[in-house]
Amino acid sequence: MKGKEWYQADDVAEEYDDKRFSEGGAFIDRREKAAVRSALGPLEDKTVLEVACGTGRFTVMMAQAGADIVGLDISAAMLAQGREKAKRAGVDDHVEFMRGDAARLPFPDDHFDAVFAMRFFHLADRPVTFLRELRRVTKGQIFFDTFNLGSTRVIYNWLLPMGSRLYSRTDVESLLADSELELESEAHDFVLPYGFYRQLPRSVARPFRTLDTAIGKTPLGDKLASVSYWSVQK
Amino acid sequence: MKESLMEIIRCPIDKHELELAVEDREDGEIMAGMLSCPECGETYPIEDGIPNLLPPDMRDDAAA
Repeated sequence: MKGKEWYQADDVAEEYDDKRFSEGGAFIDRREKAAVRSALGPLEDKTVLEVACGTGRFTVMMAQAGADIVGLDISAAMLAQGREKAKRAGVDDHVEFMRGDAARLPFPDDHFDAVFAMRFFHLADRPVTFLRELRRVTKGQIFFDTFNLGSTRVIYNWLLPMGSRLYSRTDVESLLADSELELESEAHDFVLPYGFYRQLPRSVARPFRTLDTAIGKTPLGDKLASVSYWSVQK
Repeated sequence: MKESLMEIIRCPIDKHELELAVEDREDGEIMAGMLSCPECGETYPIEDGIPNLLPPDMRDDAAA
């Protein structure tokens, strides 16, 4: 089963957050949320688009921080989870969810203050097409992550149910050049891959995360990181 | 979806503004209805409060 179908199955959507972001996975959740928050800066009254928002894990957080946000995804089952989450958080007055295609976004040019897509480009079969479309609808900023070639991710990548595309630094550079985007800032993390943390109870995962962060700070850290965060401007 | 969303959503195909026909409203939210593009004639359903702006060739989930 390829990514599109896997992510759209009802049972996958219902269990998605629990399976991926509880226990050891909580360290991933925390780091990803920090990455998005710090890249997008102050959010009060900003209009933001999240592409491939899934169950609205980031969408709802951004709304809580004051953003006026639209979450777009291909999957109705995932979005239903997002709507519930936004209601529970009491932020549904400034969140909208919709189904759409990231390559043909239903918005005018230069509309959003910022556009971001997490865990999206590893599933993207035509990354340049998608990135160009994100560029079309943003006024300036785009933020996204990639999973890295030449990292520990390679070890388990082939086991995944959705198939997953890995990027080298050169891949990302040519992706940006082809999309006429400028790199603004970057961060690299997770010498140990996501799949490793997900297998562990939180208490067992914690010392590994500490070690991981320590290795990440060494000169070798960026080279070994399995995840990269990219903030770019048009 | 809220009616104010009409200001920002466009037809995914030609980016034209859309027209709205409401079928069901609950607490100020549009729960069911139809969006249509006066330019190309394409229609986009609103189901369970979520507008489906997938282009027609991607709309059939099972066959995707």
